[in-house]
Amino acid sequence: MSTEQEPTLDELQQMKQWSVFKRLMSYTKPHKKRLAFAFFLLLVATAAELTGPILVKTFIDDFVTPRNFDQRALVVLASGYIGLIVISAVVNYIQFVLFQSVALDIIQTLRIQVFSKVHSLGLKFFDRTPVGSLVSRITNDTEAVKDLYVSVLSTFVQNIVFLFGIFGFMFYLNVKLALFCLGILPFIVLIMWLYRKYSSRSFYDMREKLSQLNAKLNESLQGMSIVQVFNQQKRLRKEFAKINQEHNDAQIRNIKYNGLLLRPAVDLVYMFALLMILSFFGIKSFNSPVEIGVIYAFINYLDRFFEPVNMMMMRLSIFQQAIVSAGRVFTVMDEEEFAPIKKGDETPSISRGKIEFKDVSFSYDGEQEVLKDITFTAEPGQTVALVGHTGSGKSSIINLLMRFYEVNKGKILIDDVPLSNFENKELRTKMGLVLQDPFLFVGDIMQNVRLYDETITDEDVKNAARFVQAAPFIERLPEGYQTELGERGATFSSGQRQLISFARTMAFSPKILILDEATANIDTETEEEIQEALHKMRSGRTTIAIAHRLSTIQDAELILVLHKGEIVERGTHQELLRQRGLYHKMFLLQHGKDSMNDVG
Amino acid sequence: MRVFLQLMWYFKQEKWRYLGGIVMLAFVSLGLLVPPKVVGLIVDHIKEGTITEEILWRYAAVLIGIAIGIYVLRYIWRILIFGSAVKLAMLLRNRLYEHFTKKSQEFYHKRRVGDLMAHSTNDLQAIQQTAGDGVLTLVDSLMMGGFTLIAMATTISWKLTLVSLLPLPIMAWATNKYGTMLHKRFHSAQEAFSTLNDKVQESISGTRVIKAFGQERDDIDSFSKLSQDAVKKNMAVARVDSLFDPTISLIIGFSFFLAVGYGSILVTHNELTIGELVSFTSYLGLLIWPMLAFGWLFNIVERGRASYDRVESLLAVKEEIEDSGSIENCPKGDISYQLEQFSYTTGTPVLSDIHFTLKRGQTLGVVGKTGSGKTTLCKLLLREFQLRLDDIIIDDHDICDYKLHALRNSIGYVPQDHFLFSATIAENIAFSKVESPFIKIKEAAELASIHKDITQFKYGYETVVGERGVTLSGGQKQRISIARALIKNPEILILDDSLSAVDAKTEESILQQLKRKRQNQTTIITAHRLSSIAHCDLIIVLENGTIVQRGTHLSLLNEDGWYKETYEKQALETLISQGGVIK
Repeated sequence: MSTEQEPTLDELQQMKQWSVFKRLMSYTKPHKKRLAFAFFLLLVATAAELTGPILVKTFIDDFVTPRNFDQRALVVLASGYIGLIVISAVVNYIQFVLFQSVALDIIQTLRIQVFSKVHSLGLKFFDRTPVGSLVSRITNDTEAVKDLYVSVLSTFVQNIVFLFGIFGFMFYLNVKLALFCLGILPFIVLIMWLYRKYSSRSFYDMREKLSQLNAKLNESLQGMSIVQVFNQQKRLRKEFAKINQEHNDAQIRNIKYNGLLLRPAVDLVYMFALLMILSFFGIKSFNSPVEIGVIYAFINYLDRFFEPVNMMMMRLSIFQQAIVSAGRVFTVMDEEEFAPIKKGDETPSISRGKIEFKDVSFSYDGEQEVLKDITFTAEPGQTVALVGHTGSGKSSIINLLMRFYEVNKGKILIDDVPLSNFENKELRTKMGLVLQDPFLFVGDIMQNVRLYDETITDEDVKNAARFVQAAPFIERLPEGYQTELGERGATFSSGQRQLISFARTMAFSPKILILDEATANIDTETEEEIQEALHKMRSGRTTIAIAHRLSTIQDAELILVLHKGEIVERGTHQELLRQRGLYHKMFLLQHGKDSMNDVG
Repeated sequence: MRVFLQLMWYFKQEKWRYLGGIVMLAFVSLGLLVPPKVVGLIVDHIKEGTITEEILWRYAAVLIGIAIGIYVLRYIWRILIFGSAVKLAMLLRNRLYEHFTKKSQEFYHKRRVGDLMAHSTNDLQAIQQTAGDGVLTLVDSLMMGGFTLIAMATTISWKLTLVSLLPLPIMAWATNKYGTMLHKRFHSAQEAFSTLNDKVQESISGTRVIKAFGQERDDIDSFSKLSQDAVKKNMAVARVDSLFDPTISLIIGFSFFLAVGYGSILVTHNELTIGELVSFTSYLGLLIWPMLAFGWLFNIVERGRASYDRVESLLAVKEEIEDSGSIENCPKGDISYQLEQFSYTTGTPVLSDIHFTLKRGQTLGVVGKTGSGKTTLCKLLLREFQLRLDDIIIDDHDICDYKLHALRNSIGYVPQDHFLFSATIAENIAFSKVESPFIKIKEAAELASIHKDITQFKYGYETVVGERGVTLSGGQKQRISIARALIKNPEILILDDSLSAVDAKTEESILQQLKRKRQNQTTIITAHRLSSIAHCDLIIVLENGTIVQRGTHLSLLNEDGWYKETYEKQALETLISQGGVIK
């Protein structure tokens, strides 16, 4: 029923929307019992609500008209009536809340599913998906789906049941007239059909124009300096006014369609239905007496008939939007770019920390190789440094070692065991990664160091902080380790943030240390502390370090110079300087000619 | 209600439409009173057995007439009132847009585009609602409510009216109370949602860290807790939200009960006919909407007033740049900076002691670290900021003596952040000369060394770029924006660090062509890469907003200082990026 709303949709998309809808409905399965109970309550409330007019009818026909006021019967009738409206109010309230709670639980399930799914995906997926759109899938789109459950589906179920109820009671009162009243339905359906055909199209048109208008405005605001410098204000004003006028026209068109087809049209049908009922009883009264109460009840039911119809018509447009959103959520859920998974049955562990790359080649897109035949060995406890200009492939080596991506060719071994045989958890806890941008989470320092690992005690955190020299500055803070980090740790200097992230790495006591340009963005104030901390961290651990500043890795056992994905030079600092190759030039660039005298 | 006074100028301007609409609304309200009355009369006829075919026909005619009349009037008042409201939003939107085009860069420095967008969308929407739904709810709740009450009290029974209205104030009180509760809970649900949003944002941006420490499972748990909290808050909303309908039907139910009960007593005492009682219950139903509308009205008006105040105060921001010059001729390219000091309205001086003179046809190179003031120096020439007398002299006149559009007509500017519009490449290049023949567009593209790239796109010059178009590389965008400036054949060309994303060979070819084409025109180039400005007639080195070195490429290489150091460093960098071998 959603499908014709958007005129641009073709058959294929209609089918897709239908399958999205079915898939959404499958989420109701685990809540069958609660839904069934809510539905039962809905029936009770509807029955109670619609029995009211019958009581009034009885009152009018059996008591008022014949002037028969039997006290006891009247009390029963009155308390029955009051009882019914109270019951219907209370039960209605409960069923409203129940439907909503099911809807919200479904959204909870959906959200956790899509969030878990995202976490199971590989970095390849994140590389090609903008953060903003992914966030929007998990939050905004699921929120739109929530509206579908909360305000569309439950409203439809409730109102449809109500309409059935009304007809049921009409048939109870007078079969012939009820049959006549069924004649209203085709008109209502016709109006709905016309509304969806015309009004929803003009609504869509209006939305389209509005988004054009906003896009134009947004673009103008962003490029205003260009507009002004090129003296194009007048032209753009004209262009804007034109779109504005079109938007205005679309809105007026929408108002006209709504005026022709929405409430006024439904009310028109109501008037004719009223006329029909009156004529029916009028004509009937020519031959036989008519019970006034029946007229009252019929008119009362008729009055109640049209509110649900109006309500359902107003909710139609939300439906479309929600289906589109749900489709987007499901696309993420069906994504198949999983993170690399473990191979083999045994669960090896990392004890010594030997790292070996054997003829490793790698490409992100399957076309351009970013690493070619990389071979090197880091013995336990050694430091291997990777240097090279931007795009030379340093970070890719680390990405492979962390098993964020799968190797295309060649082998990576840790303690002589293929990398792919390790459990992810083993790899990630034994290998401590320090990123160039020390990403901090919202929360206090304690939480940022131990993350979610509850086995790391407060004392462990403090030890780690002391070890990396972060303790002095943390302890000087008024709230110490409980200090809240603002958005992305903006309240701390980059050096301090880096120290906190060092502490995080050390708290997990890794066997292997991986430093991704850990000193690239450091302010001079903390640089010394950072260097000292790094030195301490490295001792006794196998370390793979990417370094911009060559001074920081002069004591490395092995320095690999990368260029366009290949190792072009290798050796110790002194050996490489003597080669007077690329490394030598880099060193010159950073230290100036004067420093060369010492090494010469 | 003050907002209605604030909008009075518009109501006056559209007085016939509004008056017409209100009169129609009045007729609709009156018309709606008829069917219940007719129902009552027919019921009485049936009861008394006095009904005839003729009476039935007469009433049928009345009902049909009323029904069609109401349908037509409703259609028209919507167009009149809602249409006027839409028009008001359009009017204000145009006004805002015009205002935006007149604002200097200072204005944009102080405000975020997002906020300005919010004013032009959400606030205008609220104002439109005030001028439409606001007027409707005001008129409807007063007229329809009033008319119905009068009809009940005068044509049926004032005693019955009083009695059956007794529960209604409770409804007004309850819905108002729920409204406040709902507002609060809704707010906290919104907050829970935004916390959830932040969490997701953080998890996705920190996905590397989470993976690196193997914390995926725990992160999912933490998300699930927050999500559960959002569910809880939403449930709190649902619990209040679900109160509305049952409460309203409960109160209405009581009201009906009183009406029918007390009405029957009156009927037995012959103070009321049974038909009148039936009419009365229908009237009671008609009262629900005006009561709800009245509560709604306050909401609309409150939002409308806040929004209108915001838009007003935005429109009231004065122009910072006085366009009071009188010279309509576009200046030629003799430029002289005699700037003692320049600072943005607030804060420390950005430029100080800038003195230099360029003859028409000369080229100036400006270099220096990020933040040294290069861009500001260019922008002063565009008069994006207010200057003092004699700061800059162009073509023998103070820069402020020129009309803004005359001055800017002389200048071709290529900004640092190469902004392109969502339009075709041809339209982007011909931005300032919309009517340019294709040959001119192509010529400019060739000059900017982008023609070849463009012809390789599937749709060539008709390729749509910008936010919603194809993605171009930084270098391509830069060159298109150079072409956009060149198509003007400007007397003065400013390239503000706009060759940074172009490779060395292309840069060389662009500079060569510029040199050839612009022999009698002035060019200013700012750059990080010294190769971009080595050919300049005059090079100035900026540091902290002041000139620390000046000369030509050769003279600067012969003097110790920033220029020489940087030159050597960049030469080495080039070497390294090529793998250490000179190619």
